[in-house]
Amino acid sequence: MSIAKPYESASGASNWRMRKFIADFGVYIALAVLLLAATVLTPKLFEVNTIAVVMRQASQLGIVAIGQTMILLVAGLDLSIGGIFLMTSIVVADVTNGRDEMVLPAILIALALGALIGAGNGVLVTKRRVPPFVATLGMLVLVKGATQAYTKGVPGGFVPDVLGIVNQSWFVLSIPLLLWLGLNAFFIFVLRRTSYGRKVYAVGSNIEAARLSGISVDVIRISVYILGSCLAVASGVVLTGYVGYVDRFIGTGLELDSIAAAIVGGTAFVGGRGGLLGTIAGVLIIQLLSTMALLMGLDIEVQFIIKGLVILGAVTLYSLAETES
Amino acid sequence: MIKRIVIAMFVLCLILGSSALSFAQDEDMSGFEITQEMIDASPYLQSVLSRLDQVYDTSEFAKDPPYRIAFAAQGTSNAWSALMDAHAYWYVEHLGEDVVSELLYGDAQAQADIQVPLVEDLLAQEPDALILVPMGAAALSAPVERAMMQGVPVVLCASAVETDNFVTEVGTNLYSIGATLAEWLIDTVGADGNFLMMTGVPGVTTSVIMEEGAMAVFESQGIELLDNQPGFWSPAEGKKIMETWLAQHGDGIDGIWTGGAQMAQGIISAYEDAEMEIPPIAGGEMQSGFLRSAIEHGFEFYAWMYPNAMITICLDAAIQILQGEPIARFIDFVDTMPEARPFTDAEAEDYYRPRWSDDVHGPVTMPDEKLAELGFLVEEE
Repeated sequence: MSIAKPYESASGASNWRMRKFIADFGVYIALAVLLLAATVLTPKLFEVNTIAVVMRQASQLGIVAIGQTMILLVAGLDLSIGGIFLMTSIVVADVTNGRDEMVLPAILIALALGALIGAGNGVLVTKRRVPPFVATLGMLVLVKGATQAYTKGVPGGFVPDVLGIVNQSWFVLSIPLLLWLGLNAFFIFVLRRTSYGRKVYAVGSNIEAARLSGISVDVIRISVYILGSCLAVASGVVLTGYVGYVDRFIGTGLELDSIAAAIVGGTAFVGGRGGLLGTIAGVLIIQLLSTMALLMGLDIEVQFIIKGLVILGAVTLYSLAETES
Repeated sequence: MIKRIVIAMFVLCLILGSSALSFAQDEDMSGFEITQEMIDASPYLQSVLSRLDQVYDTSEFAKDPPYRIAFAAQGTSNAWSALMDAHAYWYVEHLGEDVVSELLYGDAQAQADIQVPLVEDLLAQEPDALILVPMGAAALSAPVERAMMQGVPVVLCASAVETDNFVTEVGTNLYSIGATLAEWLIDTVGADGNFLMMTGVPGVTTSVIMEEGAMAVFESQGIELLDNQPGFWSPAEGKKIMETWLAQHGDGIDGIWTGGAQMAQGIISAYEDAEMEIPPIAGGEMQSGFLRSAIEHGFEFYAWMYPNAMITICLDAAIQILQGEPIARFIDFVDTMPEARPFTDAEAEDYYRPRWSDDVHGPVTMPDEKLAELGFLVEEE
């Protein structure tokens, strides 16, 4: 007796196509459904002011999520970005001490430190074979410890006025949104149209096959961690301008939200599959859920439950589709 | 000996009398009255009110100085806590080694799960007394009871636990503070106003009790809030929420209740970006950044104080216990620090200290040199 494979029967093939459709387009359908629900539940969401707020807040998460998606594509993970936000904020306030003309040097110093942290993550993961979760968690603790030692537990200083530009909106456009869109355009091009992008996918899909085909696997992985950290610095600068104050809890939760956004957007936790378009949709879903919950006046507990259910639902859908395909 | 007891009793009567007076003054100031219904609904209020006239006989803890005192602090988390630690070290130095020989310090990083084992570690070092800034009322109850069983007297500083088995608590009636802020908002705007509420961290005692007090007042006046969300004592979270509220309600917001100045800063920043007039805010503090913005924008506010300098009163209480002197079971810091009273925008200039950096919470009892050492003083141009 032979067992028919799913795609060997008409219904099996149809089932398979449906699951593939969900895997490829599920996140966009979810986003459309959410927007449809918002027309009934929270019509305020479609007013210009609200859209501007949603987009500005989504950009903060979106910039980090670009880096996190690329790291996930090489089967990695980065938890250390939580420490990078605070480090960036401290560097900006400390180096500038409120002086506008010192913003550029401050950002360059923060980027250099971010690159160092990313390189550290990459080397630990590639050369020392430390699992990404452990390596980046250790780095998070190290960076937070170092910032606490530097500030004696009291991050202070003054944020230069010029960074307040991130709070300005023109219609629905704002600097953070333009930065997010620009960075997305650049990295989508890199991932789809350059050999570097193809190598990122190759390393994530099958690391041994990539190595055998002559790809410098370690270089690719380390470079992706460095990019991820530098993007976290960029988001940290935006956040610092947004708050206008060095807050010890700045960006708290964005590291996990960025992973959630990428996963909801269809990037596989095991690497090699997914992309930035899906992550954009994932970021918007997470931000819309948050804003809609607030507009509906839902309790914080309910907000967390809804967010958790959406993430679990997305992961379950993708894993079902993956099993079948 | 009899003379000393009589003097101690006299001092105690004075303290209790002034506590009762200040409590009554608080009620008079806002017109706020604690009803039996409120007391019945709030275990915190029941505990505080019952302890107002209680005295603990500390003779069992009496011993000769110098003392080793354990300080389970909130720890590295924010400027409020850093200044509390700085006040503690400064005051111990000020008292001298013949009074306090060692301050055993424990840093909870503002987390109850870190503080529970930390208290165990501190108790293993056999201190003479424990000063605890509880990070969770339920989580810290068992460690407090263990300390008392071990014969280490416990002074609760700035927050409460669920057990009643401790010697004394230094703080203020947080329920009353929350209620008074709500009362002021209603008096300023009118009961038909549209109000928003931004609380601190969900589940953290200080935030929960203040919210309880405020809600009791809003509900007693039949006021339905436009919304109530936690701002996690963070300017960033506060701003995010306020931006959405502004998009939703626009200029239909008449007043905002907030559980701390950090969130108030976020609220102000959102209004600045939206270029809208800031409505009355109940819940400012003597925090430099908040006062600077308040003076700049000239909006109405009501501020309360929760001075980190209250740690000096906690240390005095621990010493009093170790000297075997009877002690009140609830010590309101306002009785020792009369300047730590609520104030309004009319007095903003009096409380603003231009030389303090934005994150300094007053009042500060340390000398300026100590503040400068910690980087809390702005360089004069």
